[in-house]
Amino acid sequence: MTEYRTHMKIIGDILSTTRDELQDEDGATVTYLIRKANVSHSRISRILRTLVSQGLLEKDDSQGSNKYKISQTGREFLQAYHTFSGFAINFGLTI
Amino acid sequence: MEFLLENILNLVGFLVGLGIGIVSFIGFRNTGSPTLFRLALAFFSISIGFFVIWVGYMVEDFVIKSGNLERWVQTLGIAIQTIGYFFIAFSHSIKSLFPKSRYFKSVGIFPLFLVSSVQIEHIFRSVSFILLAYGAIETILSYFENRNKGAISVAIGLSLLALGEFLGWYSFVFPESILYFISMIIKISGLIALFIPVSRVPLTKIKFDESFD
Repeated sequence: MTEYRTHMKIIGDILSTTRDELQDEDGATVTYLIRKANVSHSRISRILRTLVSQGLLEKDDSQGSNKYKISQTGREFLQAYHTFSGFAINFGLTI
Repeated sequence: MEFLLENILNLVGFLVGLGIGIVSFIGFRNTGSPTLFRLALAFFSISIGFFVIWVGYMVEDFVIKSGNLERWVQTLGIAIQTIGYFFIAFSHSIKSLFPKSRYFKSVGIFPLFLVSSVQIEHIFRSVSFILLAYGAIETILSYFENRNKGAISVAIGLSLLALGEFLGWYSFVFPESILYFISMIIKISGLIALFIPVSRVPLTKIKFDESFD
């Protein structure tokens, strides 16, 4: 059975990928994130725009291709996400 | 003895509800999760409900000194707690179980105007029991999916609160029996069980950023 992922869980997966599974030090490409986070191109584009505007991701387009890296705020958000995800699981819920 | 236990129960309920509500609200502020917002609403309501009854007992004990808590204070406190239990159950997607038609909704509310405050209290207690039992079942089912030990503690807590509500309601049938006393002990145990996993949330490791909403 396919696991249903909430919007928050998808954001958590994207941020985790940009923190833990980078291809190189410049960041992850959109294609790489689509494959790792398992999200469609149109959806991930919207999410990435939001995450960059919120300061959770840093966008680097210096070499012609857009690459994304997690920011310090993103790391703090991810830490809070994991903490409160565990808290919600205690109540049988997902955030 | 019953008065003392009632005070302990309401104070523990107020503090536990407030504690879990604050942790949920901090979580909501840091992640923006609607689930955590509903949990915060639920536990703040539960906390306020217990607080109302506790204040009622304090006022009765130190000011009015009539020997009996005003019935409407008890009913109001239990009603506010029921709203909290509703939000816990609502977080488990109970929404789909409610009738959608306006007619059914009006029929559901109308009988409340025809019954006395004692009967309203019975209704709130029985609704609380159903919501708590539903929350406990959903929580234990989630344990089988995630194997998270904290879920067992929360499920036990909700089950004990449900049992306490049931015995509290049943004690109206046998008013002079030990049932109400037992129901209060069970509810205090349930509140403590609810708080155990929450007390392990490592809030100190989180660096709170005021600029992020």
